[in-house]
Amino acid sequence: MRDAPSDALVVAQVLGGDKEAFGIIIRRYEPGLLRFATRMLGSPDAAADAVAESLVRAYRHLAQCRDLEHLKSWLYRITGNRCRSHLGRRHSGDVPLDDAPSIADPVDTWAVLERSEQVALVERALAGLPEEKREAFVLKHVEGMSYEEMSAVTGARIPTLKMRVHRAREALLAALKELV
Amino acid sequence: MRLVLAFVLVASALAAQSAPPPPPSPHGRLEGRVPAAALPVIDSLVAQAVAESLPTEPLVQKALEGGAKGIPVDRLVNGVRRGLVQLRDARAIVTRATPTRAAVDGDVAAVAAALARGLDPRLVERLMAATPAEPPGPVLHAAADLVAHGFPADSAADLLRTAQQEGLRGTRLLDVAVAASHELQREGGRTPMEALARVRAMLPNVPVAPPPHPRAVTRRAGPGS
Amino acid sequence: MTDIDPRLQEALDGERDPATLPVGLREAYVRLVAATELLREPPAVSVADRVMAEIRSDAATSPTAPAGAARRLTQWFTRPRAVTLRLRPAWTLALAAALAALLLLPGGQAAVPGAEEGIAQFVGHFPGARSVEVVGSFNDWRRGALPLNDEDHDGIWHGAVVLPTGQHEYMFVVDGERWVADPLAGRYVDDGFGAGRQNALLIVRP
Repeated sequence: MRDAPSDALVVAQVLGGDKEAFGIIIRRYEPGLLRFATRMLGSPDAAADAVAESLVRAYRHLAQCRDLEHLKSWLYRITGNRCRSHLGRRHSGDVPLDDAPSIADPVDTWAVLERSEQVALVERALAGLPEEKREAFVLKHVEGMSYEEMSAVTGARIPTLKMRVHRAREALLAALKELV
Repeated sequence: MRLVLAFVLVASALAAQSAPPPPPSPHGRLEGRVPAAALPVIDSLVAQAVAESLPTEPLVQKALEGGAKGIPVDRLVNGVRRGLVQLRDARAIVTRATPTRAAVDGDVAAVAAALARGLDPRLVERLMAATPAEPPGPVLHAAADLVAHGFPADSAADLLRTAQQEGLRGTRLLDVAVAASHELQREGGRTPMEALARVRAMLPNVPVAPPPHPRAVTRRAGPGS
Repeated sequence: MTDIDPRLQEALDGERDPATLPVGLREAYVRLVAATELLREPPAVSVADRVMAEIRSDAATSPTAPAGAARRLTQWFTRPRAVTLRLRPAWTLALAAALAALLLLPGGQAAVPGAEEGIAQFVGHFPGARSVEVVGSFNDWRRGALPLNDEDHDGIWHGAVVLPTGQHEYMFVVDGERWVADPLAGRYVDDGFGAGRQNALLIVRP
């Protein structure tokens, strides 16, 4: 089975004029970016807008991303900034909380409902975090980034990021005491 | 007649060409125009601007300017870096002054230009917040003009606010600054406050700056070298 | 909010085996890990089609750069900040130039600004100069794009050009080497390169 082309190879193809090759970048990073943006904005629709804007912007400035080893960090950084712009225009306390995505489990209706309630509770707890702590928690625990990668995405120093993640964990645990 | 037909044929042939390609990327515009040693750092600065949703054109222009002027690499890079910092500051001001709408590139660039002209950030924010729906460029340049001519910043802002309330918009605000400057230079001398008071009394009928006569435009810029 | 035990933080950072945590901390560890699993639900939407549609459209800027002389010619015709002519289709240039030759007009037709353009006039007193040109943001700081004229040889160099409305920075370049801020500009801004040099600032009105 052939290995997937590296980011560097795909970017070289795009810069060589193959627009369609950018679809590989989209498919590779869209799920993570959408998940990240959804957790930041609390809305799949707002997240879709932010991620679409970010990917188009990344395409237009692809030649500027010379450090192709960190294309992922660059994409997350653009998306994080887009999310911050969206959040900055909202009034405080006005973070929408859409219904949790339904989880298909036709066999056990009770488990689905319970899980939905759990997702909603976790999402509410996450939305209650200050923006910087929420971002740090999502990048660390949902997107599975190292602190080095998080530093490249946010521009913050690693000790600062550790503090934010630690505080976010404390706040979430306090909010999740209702979870059995 | 044959010549006319020939021109029509040539014109048709040219028109049949494909649409002009889209403008080149920032990197493409800089290559060959700035020292090669500066290019990676400038690319990185532009990438930061992209990542932070800041306009990139002011940075590209600053790099092209530095290359054209033969600025040494380290100072050229610092000039572009300074531009990035100004754009960040500008965006923060725009976000505070107009919290309910997205910070568009044009507004951020206009505020950065005002900051580069030495306008106090608090004054910039105050002017923007007074008319958040208006493009900020004209009022900011008018304020910078007034301050450059020695008018106190707060008084200048008050005059412009009054002019806006009297219905003056856009480049007409630049006429307010021109009128104030002219009053200052009148024979017999006027203090800045006297000059501002006279302009305030004229509002909204400050003289309009005469446009250049179109017949004077007989030259076109030639192609780039 | 209470500080949680550093051992729990270490386990969550992957620096400690969670099996070594006391029971109470291990329960908190499991609770937090379970919560993050819930947050990893894959998104139900995709933006791929939307993004690719925008990229394929003419409005999207190509990230590629054409090379060499072809690029320069393309830029001159299509550069958003180039003066006047790039705002018109290329074929009208050939036609206008040809008609001018045909009708034997001395300097070509006078340029008429469009709706979002205005006329910028440049005048400078440089007696004894062999050449004076304007270099600025409207021509990507490119040399040779906007020479001024001194037909009377009286040292007064002048020119006018149609430019997009808005702010433009520029300088005069005298005799190909001396960069001078337009003394008549009235507005100036530090060029930001640390030597105290200023650019002239022009605001083109519609």
